[in-house]
Amino acid sequence: MSETRQINVSKNSVPKLALIALGLIFVAGLFLVGFDQGHVFSLVYGEQAFTDSFLHELTHDMRHAAGFPCH
Amino acid sequence: MKSSIFIISILVSGAFSGLIYGGINLFVVEPFLDEAIGLENQHLFESGKAEDTPQFWIEYEGYRTWQKGGQIFASVILGIVFGSLFGIIFSLSKDSLPGNSFMKKSLILSGILWATIFLIPFLKYPSNPPTVGEEETIVLRTTLYLMFIGISGFGALGFYKISKKLFKNKRWFALLGFGAFIASIFILMPENPDKIFAPMELVNNFRIASALSLTCFWIILGFIHGLFWQKIDKKQ
Repeated sequence: MSETRQINVSKNSVPKLALIALGLIFVAGLFLVGFDQGHVFSLVYGEQAFTDSFLHELTHDMRHAAGFPCH
Repeated sequence: MKSSIFIISILVSGAFSGLIYGGINLFVVEPFLDEAIGLENQHLFESGKAEDTPQFWIEYEGYRTWQKGGQIFASVILGIVFGSLFGIIFSLSKDSLPGNSFMKKSLILSGILWATIFLIPFLKYPSNPPTVGEEETIVLRTTLYLMFIGISGFGALGFYKISKKLFKNKRWFALLGFGAFIASIFILMPENPDKIFAPMELVNNFRIASALSLTCFWIILGFIHGLFWQKIDKKQ
């Protein structure tokens, strides 16, 4: 017995995989530009990374401008 | 639509919005940052932690130039970050957003996001220039700020879902509910623990400049995403 199915696909449908990838980029990127105090580089440089705070210093002006708390 | 093409287009439009935002900041916000850092330098000289020598100013200028370059770079990343969020929400809600074109829908969504994840948190935790904020409280302040953004954003989403279940003429109840919800959170969330010792004129001018440039950013982001979706629509 044959069965006919009609599938309606929105012409602008977005793959779920793309949305998941964008979600990961959002979380990782927000951490980098808004929260990191040396956490990322501490994975390589250890405690020294918290003293140097490289990403914090690099993103310093944007953090202030965009309302992220800063020292 | 191919995942890779969609992701790259979203990232590029976010990065481009961020680049423009970084450029605006150079002229609108940076002068106040320089003024505030100038006050910090003054305190360093007065307390004897640094000496007002030509060598100090050479190093200072080099460092500030590096930080201003970093500001542009960080703004591009911020554009990618909020562009990704925008792309996710837009692709999931474009059919229910008001407006008869992708451009209008995109601008309306940017207005909603501007209000929920920028304006409401900004009213509770406004931006501050350097010289305001203790190093010991930075993790607490960042956590509170990001928490408020999350609560406001997810709260808006939750009340939007509720509004979809209500009859059309009663949907304003959901808006009222969101207003009451966010007002309660506003009162319940702790205040910024740091006292402000910097001149209030500088702090207020900085806040106005910061709010203006971020408002420009959300308009630009909505506009560029609108163009992107219109292009996709024409191609298909």
